[in-house]
Amino acid sequence: MIEEIKKAIVDFAEGSKKTKFYFKDMESAVQKVVPGAKMRDVKKAATALVNEEVLIYFSTGSSTMYGLKGRGMTEDPTEGTD
Amino acid sequence: MAFEPVREMKKLNYEELRIYSDAELKNYTEEELKSFKCKYEIPKLDELEKGPWPSFVSDAKQEALRRRKLSDDQILTHRDAVEDLLGQLELSFDEGETHWKHGGIVGVFGYGGGVIGRYSDLAEKYPSIAMFHTIRVNQPASKFYSTDFLKTICDMWEYRGSGLMNLHGSTGDLVLLGTTTEQLEPIFYELGHVLDTDIGGSGSNLRTPACCIGKARCEYACYDTQALCYELTNYYQDELHRPAFPYKFKFKFDGCPNGCVASIARSDMSFIGTWRDDIRIDQDAVKAYIAGDIVPNAGAHKGRDWGKFDIQKEVIDLCPSKCMSLEGDQLVIDNSECVRCMHCINTMPKALKPGVDTGISILLGAKAPILDGAQMATLMIPFMKAEAPYDNIKEFVEKVWEFWMEEGKNRERLGELMQRVTLPKFIETIGLPPAPQMVKAPRSNPYIFWKEEDVKGGWNRDINDYRSRHKR
Repeated sequence: MIEEIKKAIVDFAEGSKKTKFYFKDMESAVQKVVPGAKMRDVKKAATALVNEEVLIYFSTGSSTMYGLKGRGMTEDPTEGTD
Repeated sequence: MAFEPVREMKKLNYEELRIYSDAELKNYTEEELKSFKCKYEIPKLDELEKGPWPSFVSDAKQEALRRRKLSDDQILTHRDAVEDLLGQLELSFDEGETHWKHGGIVGVFGYGGGVIGRYSDLAEKYPSIAMFHTIRVNQPASKFYSTDFLKTICDMWEYRGSGLMNLHGSTGDLVLLGTTTEQLEPIFYELGHVLDTDIGGSGSNLRTPACCIGKARCEYACYDTQALCYELTNYYQDELHRPAFPYKFKFKFDGCPNGCVASIARSDMSFIGTWRDDIRIDQDAVKAYIAGDIVPNAGAHKGRDWGKFDIQKEVIDLCPSKCMSLEGDQLVIDNSECVRCMHCINTMPKALKPGVDTGISILLGAKAPILDGAQMATLMIPFMKAEAPYDNIKEFVEKVWEFWMEEGKNRERLGELMQRVTLPKFIETIGLPPAPQMVKAPRSNPYIFWKEEDVKGGWNRDINDYRSRHKR
């Protein structure tokens, strides 16, 4: 199941026009492909992908997004507040 | 159950860990400080040093001077960082605009929070602050630091960062201001492996929980705020470091309704100590206050002559629910009307104390105005016991999170969600019965909305049958 979710996350990240996305959007995309996926499972899979250096966190300081490592992400800051 | 730490903390010895000698830490004279000139003209910031209050500008100048005099091998980041910071701030004052950009992929491996990327958009003009990242350090409960810890972290930060800190941020963290990306992992290592602490929360995470001084020093504390703060910080480590919430979420723990950490205004989930029995009264002490034998307010305002203590004027008449009276020389309290304002207890602490059947009230939804306006918290649970292992509290926390994570929009705080879905729907979803304590004026606020299934016969009735029994 976790492997299936991981694949769904990577597919979503690669297919998305946006280079960074909120957890909720990633969760809904995964649940379309893996209907039984619970929020906790998606979080576990996303954390595993971060640890495997496939995904990265992107934080404005106040809110956090996920992205695919090497895709459109730099250290350039973005909008947001603390 | 007595408090038990997850594990014993390391005992730090500054003398073994120190990077700088005393002479290096005080490497300038008062004369040098007085004649210190920042490398930029900063007349507006100089103004901030005038007047009666201490100024961050004075602190920054001291640090800038110290860094000028430290040798190259004693600083791993930019020597001029503080002076560039002052220069950019002066420019922002002139222009009325910030030159900070923030956010990015900076962080430490495996953590989704605690490090906030900061960049100057004038990197060519102020190269030393081109990167000036913030690190939040999880403070110990009630900020009980040892001097060895503080000295060690100050040395580490002088060495690997700008030397500037903020004690403390609004969430309670010890905030390290200004370092470069390459120093983040070494700092994380030092914090975790040497200083035996952790970085705090930022982003869409559980933020660093914070508590008042609690039972450690305060006789008003109705539960052990430090123990609960420590327990939930450890129990919810995953929520603190791996972001999956719609937005930030804050816990704060006040031991009594005096609210010394202002949890009611500053946290999404506010825990406030309370009691469900009667305020304890020592009638002899009441008489002693009336006679002037005990100074009111525990002597807090005794620097001035306020005249003889008048219990009627200073306590009884000020009770917001008018639930107190003097019958002869006996103070009487109608406890069912008490709203826990704490005024009488604060004024006569030797005579009045919170009850002995203590626990917490839980309030939800406070926030500062970022996306939507400021909100105070709404009371959800009037009373709950707060005893280790706190399973009842964890169960409630998780119910609330489950709903917020399911229904909350991106960047929607819990308080905004509650407002959007309405209070009746919210309490129904998290399984709480409506209670008069949830609204300010329960006698005039129709806070219970009946649903068809709640009403015998539903919405439909036979009007003729009704009229057969009730004439017009």
